[in-house]
Amino acid sequence: MKAVILAAGKGTRLDPFTVSQPKVMIDVANRPILEYVVESLVKNAIRDIVMVVGYKKEKIMSHFEDGGDFDAHIEYVTQGKQLGTAHALYAAKDLMDEEFIMLPGDNIIDPTTIADLLEKKKGVSIVITESEHPSKYGVVELSKGVIKEYVEKPVEEVGNLISTAICSFQPSIFDTLGPLMDEGKYDFTDLIQTVVAKETVQGIFTSGMWADAVYPWDLLKVNSLALNRITGEKAGTVERGATINGPVSVGEGSVIKSGSYIAGPVVIGKGCEIGPNVTINPSTSIGHNVRIAPFSLVEHSVVMSDTGLGPHSYLSNSVIGPGCQFSSRFTASSGPTIFILEGEQHELASVGTFIGEDSVIDSGVVAEPGSIIGASSRVQSQAVLSGKLPNKSIVI
Amino acid sequence: MCGIVGYTGHRRAQPILLNSLKKLEYRGYDSAGVAIIDKEMVIHKDKGEIAVLEGHLPKIEGSVGIAHTRWATHGKPSQTNAHPFTDCKKMIALIHNGIVENYLDIKEKLLEEGHEFKSDTDTEVVVHLLEKYYEGDLEKAMLKTLKEIEGSYAFVAISVEEKDKIVVARKESPLILGKGNDENFIASDIPALLKETNKVTNLHDGEVATITPRSIKVVDLEGNEISKEWKTITWNIEDAQKGGYEHFMLKEIYEAPNTIHNTILGRVSALDLGPPLGDDFSAIKMVACGTSYYAAMAGKYILEEIAGIPTTVELASEYRYSSRAHERPLTILISQSGETLDTLGAAREAKQRGCPLLAITNYMGSSLARTVGENRVFYTRAGIEIGVAATKTFVAQLIALYLIALQLAQERHTKNSDEIRRMLDEMRTLPRVAWKVLGMGPEIRELAEKYHDVKDAFILGRGLNYPIALEGALKLKEISYIHAEGFAAGELKHGPLALMSEEAVVLAVAVQDHTYKKILGNIREVNARGSPVVGIGYEGDDNLRKFVDDLILLPKVSNIFSAIPVVLAFQLFAYYVAKERGCEIDKPRHLAKTVTVE
Repeated sequence: MKAVILAAGKGTRLDPFTVSQPKVMIDVANRPILEYVVESLVKNAIRDIVMVVGYKKEKIMSHFEDGGDFDAHIEYVTQGKQLGTAHALYAAKDLMDEEFIMLPGDNIIDPTTIADLLEKKKGVSIVITESEHPSKYGVVELSKGVIKEYVEKPVEEVGNLISTAICSFQPSIFDTLGPLMDEGKYDFTDLIQTVVAKETVQGIFTSGMWADAVYPWDLLKVNSLALNRITGEKAGTVERGATINGPVSVGEGSVIKSGSYIAGPVVIGKGCEIGPNVTINPSTSIGHNVRIAPFSLVEHSVVMSDTGLGPHSYLSNSVIGPGCQFSSRFTASSGPTIFILEGEQHELASVGTFIGEDSVIDSGVVAEPGSIIGASSRVQSQAVLSGKLPNKSIVI
Repeated sequence: MCGIVGYTGHRRAQPILLNSLKKLEYRGYDSAGVAIIDKEMVIHKDKGEIAVLEGHLPKIEGSVGIAHTRWATHGKPSQTNAHPFTDCKKMIALIHNGIVENYLDIKEKLLEEGHEFKSDTDTEVVVHLLEKYYEGDLEKAMLKTLKEIEGSYAFVAISVEEKDKIVVARKESPLILGKGNDENFIASDIPALLKETNKVTNLHDGEVATITPRSIKVVDLEGNEISKEWKTITWNIEDAQKGGYEHFMLKEIYEAPNTIHNTILGRVSALDLGPPLGDDFSAIKMVACGTSYYAAMAGKYILEEIAGIPTTVELASEYRYSSRAHERPLTILISQSGETLDTLGAAREAKQRGCPLLAITNYMGSSLARTVGENRVFYTRAGIEIGVAATKTFVAQLIALYLIALQLAQERHTKNSDEIRRMLDEMRTLPRVAWKVLGMGPEIRELAEKYHDVKDAFILGRGLNYPIALEGALKLKEISYIHAEGFAAGELKHGPLALMSEEAVVLAVAVQDHTYKKILGNIREVNARGSPVVGIGYEGDDNLRKFVDDLILLPKVSNIFSAIPVVLAFQLFAYYVAKERGCEIDKPRHLAKTVTVE
């Protein structure tokens, strides 16, 4: 069986973390989201994979190459314009000649979720799961396991069963898709509503993990979910006098210097220099080539590759993009926040700050809870950051 | 990561194993080994590439065997750590990919039982465990062994007592079985098999297979037989290996960010390049050929600027005729393959002259690495480069030179620790700088389309960007067959101006460093002769637009690092010009990747 992974979209709502890479390549516990999808397929013995790529496709192709490193065979097709999910699937038309499954590349998908689909699928089948926020997704109404109705982002409450957009299809689906393309109906909703109207579509319930990151703060939740499964492999050096508790993995060439305290689950990538005297608390991912200078505390946060954090820094519930350089005494504490994005209000109990790649932050900067700083920003010393700043902001 | 292949059949195993291993060559490698059952177990292993092993191998008879290659990660290759491993009596040979987590406990017990170990590896523990349980049936021994093992593995074993049999087991590490006519195969990756068979099946976690020339039996960990579905592979290896790109060259240009990342990994945090470079020299001489020579020329500017040490550059083929006037300079030899004959000759000559040596190469265990000694090698971690025109490996060589210069600056206190730290921090951002340049592919492509049918191309640069101009011209020559020359812009008036015409295009590097004003002057001179000019500058430089016909605006970096974005732009330009002209990009005429002749 083949699988099509849809990986062409940008993921605009995750800005500034999609400035230079598609959403599927954002690291979660130090691995791109898309890698979890590929791994789950391979664990279910599905190795022939077609990836539909588009936005910054080279990032994906250069990471996965021919799939050999992932025990898979990967082919790529390009979706020229990212018009919609159904349109993306249509790009793979010529490579699909037998029953196949389709998956979104930007969700963390558990192997058991795919196993559930493979075991129970009949004709067109869609994996469904429960969600606390059904209004963000496509909600389905079921009757004896058959999908009766499919409503995208319902305004009125319909139920809490949502579509994961993981489906099984026959190649005949392209006969349905063709006319839709001609009519300019490019979305998944268009496709599913059309199919539901004319044939039986199974809804297959899964309790396997399925996590989606829509907004920057979702990265924290997805990261901590993924961290729950790390094993704590130690390839780097832990100096005498450093304490490590719980599952903590330390990558090759990394050094945890004396006096540091790390409480897992924590993952630290390759070539990092941590400490001396640095504390890292649970649910934190540190990328590759990261330097965390003495007397810093990082908790429940993501620090992406190539970033350097100066001495006496404090990060809580924050996500720092790759290549950022912080001088000393940066403070990002967390607190309750209300975000208003695209006219929608999001209330969060506790978040810190979100900083896009390659930003340079001078000493003594304080970021208020919920601030989002665009990529390649420059912040001068003693500034107080708040709200949402665009890319290449200069803060004096 | 490792590559594994195995063969049992009616033909001689040796050439089949080596050829299959070579199919995994595109991933690079740092050590290789084979075990073949002849009259007894014959084992050969060596660090370095497969060709090195092949060169050392006598002709081995025997039609069952297994072979292994480890590809370049960060560890040091060594002969004792290379696979396959054998038991005390040399009856069983084993290859393992993965990690056995509880090997120390098992090893303790085995030591008490009198087993002798030659290495500290987890793999050797497993082969002794197989020996312990072996009672004439390798499959049974494997099943018993697996019960004691925690960790991930692909195991591949053969025994002299069962001459035609290979037993394999898998957990979390790939293994593929291939079916032939009266012969069967195993491999860690499909490309290794495709020359011999296209009928394959994947072994799954918790499965053990016993393969003979006429049978393939797969069982679960309890020994219950499992039936496998076989599939026929229809895809083309080369297309697959290009991973979605149209040519290897383009794929490799896009690998620059990962190459930079890997080359600085673990080296920039504490600036740790290994042992000190020493204080027994007051000058540096760099020796190389081709693209590596241009890296060396750029290295002159880098070393003089950062480390403040006078540096000269010599072509490897001319080195032997060079002056010995300097008292034993540090001689830095650069060769991507480490096998370039001229560079090897120069290395031997420099050694004889008593110069301290340092090599920059991409290949562990290469002849150059052996000649200068492992602890005097800086490995670029670019991975294998298949396109004949060097792209990512040139970038990696520049990164190596920055790091070496910084190390020297640190050792000699020519820069203070703050300045060094700042430069190292900036190096961390270079992978994303590279991505930004590569993101300009469509723009650069348009320019290439506009200028692809020019008769001549002239590339101008000053300072650090003079050698980069030469490299840019070399790329154009190599793959698009356009007559292209790089010039130090100041030399224009001493001759090259006579060549300027409307049929030529001039690419001028005008980044805002101390050469900026002079370059603008040069651009004016060229414009007056009617040649269209493409300016290559930093983003935000609106002033440059007034002087040129077209612009490539690159992300701004500190001037010393400008070579990286500039060369990437030239690589993309050359690629798209060649593509537009319909050239055979990955295999240009008359050229070979590694030049092992004088």
